[in-house]
Amino acid sequence: MTLTSPAKPRSDSKRPLPTPPAKRRRFEATYLGFLVPALICFTIAITVPAAMGIFFSFTDSVGFGDYNLIGLANYAALFTDPAIIGAYSFTIGFALVTVLLTNALAFLLAVGLTAQIRARVALRTIFVMPMVISGIVIAYVFNFLFSNTLPTVGEYFGIEFLKSSLLSNPDLAWLSIVIVSAWQAIPSAMLIYIAGLMAIPYDLYEASSLDGASALGQLVHVTLPLMIGYIGINIIIGFKNFLGAYDVIVGLTNGGPGVKTRSIAMTIFTGFERGDYAYQMANATVFFIISLIIALLQLRLTNRGQVK
Amino acid sequence: MNFGSEALSRPLKRRSFIASMLATGTLTLTSCGTDDPRASIRFNQSKPEVVPYFRDLLSQFNSSQRTVNATHEVTAGLSAAFARNDPPDLGCLNYNFEMARFQERGALSDLSDLPQQKMNAPFIKQLLDLYPDYPGRTSVLPYSMMGASVLYNKDIFEKHSLSIPTRYSELLDLCGELSDLGITPIYSTFKDAWTVSQGLADYCVGGAIEINQHFADLRELGSDFTPDSAVTFSKAFTDPLLRMQELAKFSNKDAANRGYGDGNLAFANGQAAMYLQGPWALPEIAKTNPDANIGTFPLPMTEDPEDLKIRVNLDLALWIPEQSDHKAEARELLAFLCQPELQDAYNESALGFGVRSDSPPTTDPRLKQMQPYIDNGRIYQGVSTAIPRTIPFENYMQGLVTGGSVEQTLATLDADWARLAQRS
Repeated sequence: MTLTSPAKPRSDSKRPLPTPPAKRRRFEATYLGFLVPALICFTIAITVPAAMGIFFSFTDSVGFGDYNLIGLANYAALFTDPAIIGAYSFTIGFALVTVLLTNALAFLLAVGLTAQIRARVALRTIFVMPMVISGIVIAYVFNFLFSNTLPTVGEYFGIEFLKSSLLSNPDLAWLSIVIVSAWQAIPSAMLIYIAGLMAIPYDLYEASSLDGASALGQLVHVTLPLMIGYIGINIIIGFKNFLGAYDVIVGLTNGGPGVKTRSIAMTIFTGFERGDYAYQMANATVFFIISLIIALLQLRLTNRGQVK
Repeated sequence: MNFGSEALSRPLKRRSFIASMLATGTLTLTSCGTDDPRASIRFNQSKPEVVPYFRDLLSQFNSSQRTVNATHEVTAGLSAAFARNDPPDLGCLNYNFEMARFQERGALSDLSDLPQQKMNAPFIKQLLDLYPDYPGRTSVLPYSMMGASVLYNKDIFEKHSLSIPTRYSELLDLCGELSDLGITPIYSTFKDAWTVSQGLADYCVGGAIEINQHFADLRELGSDFTPDSAVTFSKAFTDPLLRMQELAKFSNKDAANRGYGDGNLAFANGQAAMYLQGPWALPEIAKTNPDANIGTFPLPMTEDPEDLKIRVNLDLALWIPEQSDHKAEARELLAFLCQPELQDAYNESALGFGVRSDSPPTTDPRLKQMQPYIDNGRIYQGVSTAIPRTIPFENYMQGLVTGGSVEQTLATLDADWARLAQRS
């Protein structure tokens, strides 16, 4: 991504005495040609609105018309608002559980799908399918499964816990969101794991099996240590994505029953759509800072991986 | 300078290329205007069911016009349009809290001088009073009103010779009687939170307390409101919401898994005696069962039949933004839409009620039972439409019918209201 590494000077025999500064400048111009359009778009579409949003978080604006600067009042209110705190604790708890579940399953699937089994490619394709379906579609399909199919099955076989929908259970509705989000997120994590597993040199397994390591021993002592970087990246990327959970929740519970499954993103969006603009901008700013910290963490981790 | 001619000219060429691209782009954008000499105005109306209806009206208007050409805009999400200083010239939308935000802050122009305002039915004032208006202005002109009360299956009632309850105790008896007969008394769809708040919750609260008074009191307190104030949600809403929980128990067993579509289907097929939905469900029900024999009655929440009221809302109201450059043209379109024969035809087709003092009564057999209440002003606006939607009232009501505590929920609502009052 970054263009900090200086380009290698090309030997150009046609030009007499090419002085380094001129050369440098010319190369930079070429790079700028690639960089500037993206930079302009990013600035106009992301940076400027974000900066405006952060500015409005210090006002009492409703999104249009006059406003007053009110300093940190929105932030002060934010940290004592049980609805906001509830959304944060739900979202963080949900993200933690989901990221663990996703990675555990994705890792196991990846191990299975890199093993010498029949129809490996076909199976990989099938397991990757959830990735290409949009979240809201997945959510509506699962909504139907949870509200209609499973209760019908429960009714038919007399299975008590299936009879009422998971979605309407105030204590367990979050589980439905974990299940669906994990189902959707497993493929991309799995692909990263497959790439990682395929990068492990085969001789290591050969050597370890000569030393008498069992399959489990190989997994624990060879595969896992070599995969730790991939696991770290997957967990951080996954956690960051789950923190932004929105579409799956809208399609499944819409924050219900009651307010048991309202995520941060939902709170922000419903708030500013419904006239609580400045206040939710403050919320969004806090959320942005949290995401930024996670992103920096991710960047550090990937850079370290590269150095290795 | 050390630049070789090549090095100098290339970036220049590139630059001039980009510049010419930009110039072409700008030209294309600016030349998008039409050849039509008429003033162009934008009409926003996003109620999905009636979009084709208004599209026809608009083309009638445009073909009759030499000076104005109106385009139909069906986008929702007005906040963004107002934030961009680019609202439509004439709006025809549901009159609710979101709309009220715009009028309260003076984003809508004054329509008090319109001749049409003098035609408003007497009960209109009560409806407009729920929301604060900008000082000295009347920002909207009502166009159509919806009346909502309990939908009931007339066939079931007739078959078992049940009568319409006019007291809360009678309602409980009726539900008990229906249960004994093996008939689901109320079909509920708790999965969709809005169906709980607009149906059961609005009927229970609106039938028991004076909504306008409650919110006027709250407004008077303003930012002084605390959960210990003289007027709170806990004090006013506890009894009606406890009754709501009592009534919710008479729902179908799988209510928690059922959504709006399921409810329409089940009620159309006669799977329950009562259904707490507004008239917007009627066309959906008719799709399944065109012959469904449906009537309405107000949900009785007290022991006095004099207290019976129905829930109404201004389904459509017209407004012209202050920012519009074409107010006069927008008023022309407004006058066109407000011709009594067009307005009455709209109400007839969209199951609405007239808002003019000379509007004819509804002729729809399913709605007729509500007309007397409207004529006598026995109406209220749903509490769900009076609470800013940044407070998740719908979700709170869904929580209550799925086992939540009234006391805790109302304490939360009071705390929410106090926080909101302090920051706005």
